[in-house]
Amino acid sequence: MPECKGWLLDLFEDPEDDVVLYIIARDGRRLRLHTCFPVTFYARGSNTELRTLWRFLSSQSPKPVLKRTRRFDAFTRQDETVLEVQVQRAYLQRPLFERVAKSFPHLTFDDADIQLSLRFAAATGVFPLAHCTVSFDEGYTLKSICPLEKAWALTPSRIPFRVMTIAPNCDPHRTLPERLEIDCGRSHYQLSLFPERGLLVNLKALLERFDPDILLTSWGDTWLLPYLLETSEKHSLPLPLNRESRKEVRWQKERSYFSYGRVVYRGQQVQLYGRCHIDRRNAVLWDDYGMEGTLEACRVTALPLQVSARSSPGTGISSIEILTALREGILVPWQKQQAEMVKPASELFLADPGGMVYQPVVGVHRNVAQIDFVSLYPSIMVNFNISPETIINDPAAENLVPTLGIGIDNSITGIVPKSLKPLLMKRITLKKETARLEAWDPRRQDFARRASALKWLLVTCFGYLGYKNARFGRIEAHQAVTAYARELLLRAKETAEAAGYEILHMYVDALWIRKEGGIDKGELDTLLEEIQLNTGVPIALDGIYRWLVFLPSRQNENRSVPNRYFGAFEDGSLKIRGIAARRGDTPSYIAGVQDCILKMLADWPDPAAAIPDIIQYLQQSIRLLKAGRVPVHELLVSQRLGRKLDAYTTLPAAARAALQLEGIGKHLRPGQRVRFVYTRLKDGVYAWDLGKAPDPAIIDVDQYIKLLIRANSEILQPWVGSEKDLAARLFASGGQLALPRQPRAHPALHASQPPANPCVALAIIRTM
Amino acid sequence: MGRTLASTTQVLLHEEGALSRFRRALRKSDQQALDDLFNAAQQHLAASAYAAHTLPFETFLLSMLLEEHKEVMRLRQAVKELQEMHA
Repeated sequence: MPECKGWLLDLFEDPEDDVVLYIIARDGRRLRLHTCFPVTFYARGSNTELRTLWRFLSSQSPKPVLKRTRRFDAFTRQDETVLEVQVQRAYLQRPLFERVAKSFPHLTFDDADIQLSLRFAAATGVFPLAHCTVSFDEGYTLKSICPLEKAWALTPSRIPFRVMTIAPNCDPHRTLPERLEIDCGRSHYQLSLFPERGLLVNLKALLERFDPDILLTSWGDTWLLPYLLETSEKHSLPLPLNRESRKEVRWQKERSYFSYGRVVYRGQQVQLYGRCHIDRRNAVLWDDYGMEGTLEACRVTALPLQVSARSSPGTGISSIEILTALREGILVPWQKQQAEMVKPASELFLADPGGMVYQPVVGVHRNVAQIDFVSLYPSIMVNFNISPETIINDPAAENLVPTLGIGIDNSITGIVPKSLKPLLMKRITLKKETARLEAWDPRRQDFARRASALKWLLVTCFGYLGYKNARFGRIEAHQAVTAYARELLLRAKETAEAAGYEILHMYVDALWIRKEGGIDKGELDTLLEEIQLNTGVPIALDGIYRWLVFLPSRQNENRSVPNRYFGAFEDGSLKIRGIAARRGDTPSYIAGVQDCILKMLADWPDPAAAIPDIIQYLQQSIRLLKAGRVPVHELLVSQRLGRKLDAYTTLPAAARAALQLEGIGKHLRPGQRVRFVYTRLKDGVYAWDLGKAPDPAIIDVDQYIKLLIRANSEILQPWVGSEKDLAARLFASGGQLALPRQPRAHPALHASQPPANPCVALAIIRTM
Repeated sequence: MGRTLASTTQVLLHEEGALSRFRRALRKSDQQALDDLFNAAQQHLAASAYAAHTLPFETFLLSMLLEEHKEVMRLRQAVKELQEMHA
């Protein structure tokens, strides 16, 4: 019987072959194997209804295997009697379950709508992209499959993917591209979009010759693949985008949804069979962790690559928990019906405050250390065993949660800590390894990106614990985590104060501390050890700031806000939170100027000494704006539409720009970004995606000068004063600012290439 | 988001809003003093939230008093230093 080693690329259901697996074999072959894979779901409810269901299922063809058994329910914390329904072919489970759910609405169902890849991983230990051994017969029927590595392996085996990259030469939502840029292996091709037939013939030849495993595209979901499919249909020239020739591609509609206080837009998706399509523009967090992080997320969540690349970390963490539950034999609810425990109002006051957030001491501070708990919330869940099934509503319980009248049952380990522990350990190890590697080491980026993918999963797991629709969410567990977090942060504060430190600020899992006479590294290490001893959770030094500025509120300068600050570490690197340069809607020119000013501040031991040069630099930047020498694309403002256009009563700039696009037939949905420039025309804006670039003469320069001054007054405030004071200093000479003599040294360049050393920027100014 | 109760920050803003008629009827100089008191309460929002008091306004009043007492202590110290200088 043939046997080989390889990697599982994709698996899906099929009406004829039931489950199809695509394997990248070590010897270079691409294998299409198939198998019959039985899947099980459970039903529970009144005996009468279960008996009726039994009769209903017995009359089905093929008849599923039925059994009365007991399974553990995480929410009732006991074994429940259930009817086990084993469908012999995975492909048949979904339609059968849909009929059952419709006919028996009063029954409760579990394990009913689980991704095939998760069931497969739970049964065989082989997850998507896992290294494995397969044996199969001459008809390519899978006989056995065994994993050769775990998802938690620190350095997973390298998969010899064949990747084909396809990107149009420009943003297709703006103007129709002229050609496609294609890279496969070491070859680069340019295919003109016209004539269409020529494009199809050439692309088909490339796909057949190169036979890629991954199709990595730009705008593939929202433009490229739909365009190619439409053209191929028009010319009756089939394009082998799928490896699985019998199947059509899989479409998923675009959607907008509300998450973490804002509307998020997800474009439509085009997924392939036997080959993976990843659209860099539609993949989740691609800019943050790229291909390495996407592959890592796929491995640990056990979701197929195409699905995990487009799924939020919330879906990822849910999948990890479902996988744990399947392995442990715990019921996975289909539609959860679980309400919050009844509690008196006084307890609600205690349970509801969330993370502890201080109001910092506004102003400039010197020699400040920032210390952070390492992955605080996940660490709490793991260390204190917080999970929906470990929470007990008993104020007399042995392990009471601080300040809440609930306890933790430590006789069992919960699903959530069980799922998170390996994830947390892997992230901590990857972070340690990254810090240990030299800056030139190519593994450094790989490790950092994979650690980032794990970070997002860990960050989301806390939110999902409090989300009532999450499979293993329970509000009391969520409240227990924040209660522990407040307790640990206060213990850290008390330990630091006892050691003679002053607390400048605290923010959920971080403390900013200072000591009379400066920070001593040795003393600080002792403090960290003491805090770890008092809390049980590791805490690390984020860095020591040479100087740090906590900014006041923009609405009221007499009030502080917790998350607007910037400072320079001892090595000159900067940390910036909540100011214009970090906000997504700031034009790149303004963000570039602000970045450069921050670097100028960081370059001086006393930032006040940099102010005269900064004023000169800002005057120069304003001159360039007035002279029309800033490229229009650097003035683009990009804002998210918060609602449908007809839901606005007064139209903000973004909505006015979206209306212009509507006029040419481009419809935007809530959550989508609209790019525009401020103009002196009636609308006050010009939508960038109208196609034609706007005439530079219509740009509202005064508006950009205002934005530039506002953005920079927020960081210069401690030294220069209010926005008015800054404007007064900038225009101190009274008259019109002179135009620059030479256009060469362009502050706009800083947006794309900020000078490594602010002195370079200063040199630029001085030569002008 | 995801809260059954308003956050302490929201409660403070609400209380401040509820006193807007009171503030309006004050002299301008008194309005400034009242604003200072609310700024003082805002400085200790974290403690107010952690206290989880059934009547949060009491903790706001205590925060105002706390800042006032800090100011008294500071002034007392300044007077003492001045007295020592002139003794």
